[in-house]
Parts: sequence; C-alpha cells; structure tokens
Amino acid sequence: MSTLETLQDILIDEFDLTRERVAPDAELAALGVDSLDLLELMFKIEDRYKLAIRDDVPNDLTTVLDVVRFIDRLLAAQSKSVGTGDADRHAAT
Amino acid sequence: MAVTGLGVITPLGNSVGELCANLMAGRSGIRQLDIPRCEGLRSPIGASADFRGDAHFAAPRLRMLDRVSQMALVAAAQAVADAGLNFGAENRDRCGVSVGTGMGGAESTDEGYHIIYAERSDRVKPYTVLASMTNAAASWIGIDYGITGPNLTYSTACSSGAVALGEAARRIQSGDADVMLAGGAEAPLTFGVLRAWEAMRTTASPDPGDPSASCRPFARNRTGLVLGEGAAFVTLEEWSHATDRGARIHAELTGYGLTTDTAHITRPTVEGQAAAMRAALKSAGLDHGSVDYVNAHGTATLQNDAVETAAIKEVFGARAYAIPVSSTKSMHGHLLGAAGALEFVIVVASMERGIVPPTMHLNLPDPACDLDYVPERARSGVNLNAVMSNSFAFGGTNAVLIAEAYDARR
Repeated sequence: MSTLETLQDILIDEFDLTRERVAPDAELAALGVDSLDLLELMFKIEDRYKLAIRDDVPNDLTTVLDVVRFIDRLLAAQSKSVGTGDADRHAAT
Repeated sequence: MAVTGLGVITPLGNSVGELCANLMAGRSGIRQLDIPRCEGLRSPIGASADFRGDAHFAAPRLRMLDRVSQMALVAAAQAVADAGLNFGAENRDRCGVSVGTGMGGAESTDEGYHIIYAERSDRVKPYTVLASMTNAAASWIGIDYGITGPNLTYSTACSSGAVALGEAARRIQSGDADVMLAGGAEAPLTFGVLRAWEAMRTTASPDPGDPSASCRPFARNRTGLVLGEGAAFVTLEEWSHATDRGARIHAELTGYGLTTDTAHITRPTVEGQAAAMRAALKSAGLDHGSVDYVNAHGTATLQNDAVETAAIKEVFGARAYAIPVSSTKSMHGHLLGAAGALEFVIVVASMERGIVPPTMHLNLPDPACDLDYVPERARSGVNLNAVMSNSFAFGGTNAVLIAEAYDARR
C-alpha cells in the first residue's frame, strides 16, 4: 500500500471522512484536521511505519500530499540509517 | 429566577424521568466497577453512568473531550431542549455558562500520567491539556451554543455544582445576564482518582452481600462515601425573560446561602453548615417553618452525617423532626462537583411530582442521627412548596440552595 493510501485510510477512519474528500490536494483544515489532530495522526503513522517522528512535525503541512511527502522523506532517511539503530530508538513496538 | 430546563446524565439514568423513577423505587446505581486496574483497589465500587460518548459524538470530536465534558455537553443539551430555548434567537452576550467540577478531566490527566510514568513513553496525547483543564466542560458548552456572555467554572470540591448554580443565579439577579446554563459535571471513576480517595479513608467498604447497598447515609453502620459520575444542568432565566417567551417553569430558585468552614480542610462545623442554611433562608425571604423537604449533603461519612444532623436541628429547632430529610447519595453516590447540581435537579423534580425520595440502606439508626430521613421508602402525595438542597465540601465551602414551587407564590 502506498503512503498516500495508508494516510487516506487513517484519515477516513479517524476523521469520519469519505474517500472522495481525502484527495491528495485536499487541505487538512478543510477536512477538520487541525494542528493538534495532525500530531495525534502522527502517532498512527509512527506505529504503521515504525518511525520516530517526535516533535519534528513541520508546521507548513497544509494538504494531504504535504503529509505524504513528509512521511516519505522520513522513510527515506530511516532506510539510509538502518543499522545505526537510531531511527528505531523510539519506534513503537 | 425561573428554572426552565433540567438535564441529567446519572448512575440512575440519563433523563430526569428515568432518574426520578429509579429514585422513587429506591434503586441504587452503585455497583462493582469494571475499569482498568480496578483489581488494585481495596474498594472497587462506584456509581457509574450508563453513558458512552461515542453514542453522542463523532470520533474527531470525541478525541478532544474528556468523559466529564461529554457528560456535561449531553446534560446541558437536555436542559436547553427542555427549556425550549433557541440560543440563535437570543442576545447571546446576555447568556452565560456556569459549571461546577471538582477534578475536571481527571480521566485524561490519569491517562497522560500513565503514559508518561507507567508506560515510560512520551506519546502524551496532544489534546491532554485541553481535555483535562478544569474549565473544558464550560468552554465546550459555550462553543456549542455560541454563548458569549460569562463562561465560568467553579471548583469548590463537593459543593462546586451548588456554587455554580447559586453564582449563576446571582449573575441574573444583578442584571448581567438573562439566561444562564448552570450545572455540574464529574467523571472520577478512574484508578488514580479512586485510589487517592481510598488513601484518605473516606470511601465506603463494599457491602459483602450487596455492593449496591454500600452507601448508608445516617445509618449506624455507615462506612463512608461512594464516588459517582455524571452531570446535571439547569436552564436559569430571568423571570420576565421566561414568561415573555411563554416558557414552562419548573420552579423558582429563590435561595442561595454560602459560608466557609475554617476549622480544618476536611472537618465540617455545625456553625458553618447552619449559617449557610440560614443565609439561604434569608435570601429566599423564608422562615424555617416554610421548608418542606431537605435533600441532605448526607455523604455517609461518620463526620458529615452527624454534623449535618446537628446543623439542621440548630436551624430548624423542634421543627427539624417534622421535616423529611433524605440523602439520595445512598442511590446515586457522591458526584463530587456535580453533586450539588444533581441534587438541586432532584429537589425540583421531587417538588413537581409531590414525592420525597428516600434514604436507602438505613436499617440501623445512629443515635446521633435522629431526624426523619425517609428511610427505605419514598413518600408520594406530599405537598412540597419549598425545598432545600445542602452541599458541603472539603475546603469548607458550604452552599445551600432553595427552590420554590412558582405557582404557590404567584
């Protein structure tokens, strides 16, 4: 499943949204996802991808696609540092 | 002050009708608790409400609401609907919200601490502060109805709900507001809160045969209070505001007395409680001969029940023995910051129905508690024109409310 599909599934579940509404260019604010919701959403992303996001969520994520790109960047960084154990340190088990 | 709307979420039902039916049948909402980690409790009993937030709120909203705010919002919505009030048609600068709560969003606080200290995780929910802050319930009510006048939260422990109603009435009395949504809410049935109350040695031991009979106010074999959860709200309106729109009026809130015990943070005094009852009578313009029913604070702690009995005798003299005095906490438990609001709703609903609810589980009288506590059985066909509700608290804030049947006065 792509990052986009995963994120869309989470948004649909957690925010009572339909699949049509969570298009890549949909604005988070219009979906009822505020900055605190986004932080809580990141817990789900961490669990799903065994990521450690912590407090590093940038505050310029405005669309669904922005969040997808952010997650993909973290995934890319994580795959580079595999073996160092660093990215896994806080990952949910 | 017109009382035009009532709303409740309680261990005895989630409507005023259901609550009254259970009270009058002497049913208890106290039960064996089924909450996380309750095996670690000495006394795993409480009065829980049959209430699920997800039946009332969609997931995105639910995440932001502690249980205390969920119950407050639903009870407040009942009080608004019952009053037939449409805030959209009101000058909302002249409407306000007044809420009493002892511990606010205790479940969210407890959960946050569990995540940090027990799970040793730093994944505290981003909404923890907003869910647990004491004024969250009042704020959400204000947001839901766009109420832009005063939005106030009172926290005076077990008298919070009564103080919230009394202070709301004063806002209307002083001319600052036409409508106040006033009530109390509490959701203390979590391990951390229950354990803390146990540590103070004020909670009841479970009745070995029947957990629902564990709270025994005024009885010789009383062992302490049983915590309960819920919310109760009333719509208070300036009199002509209510009559101009043809509102159905449940009762008139006429008396509010407020005094403070300074002897000790937990120890009540006869003088302080008596002074609060006298102050309420004075503000209602009533003498002690006019009160037809007293809903006692009656927590079932050794201290409270004896002191309150003595205070009632101090105020009412020989007539104290002729007034029915009951503690409905024997059935709905102690709702802490919601208790005063719930018990005010109960005295109003009792007056409307001409019924006095009983003090249950009172089979063994205590010589120090010798009033007419309406033991074991409700009384019907009683003519009630003025009723009193007592709320006393750790910290010493004594609050007494009086309601009168309005057609008896007008």
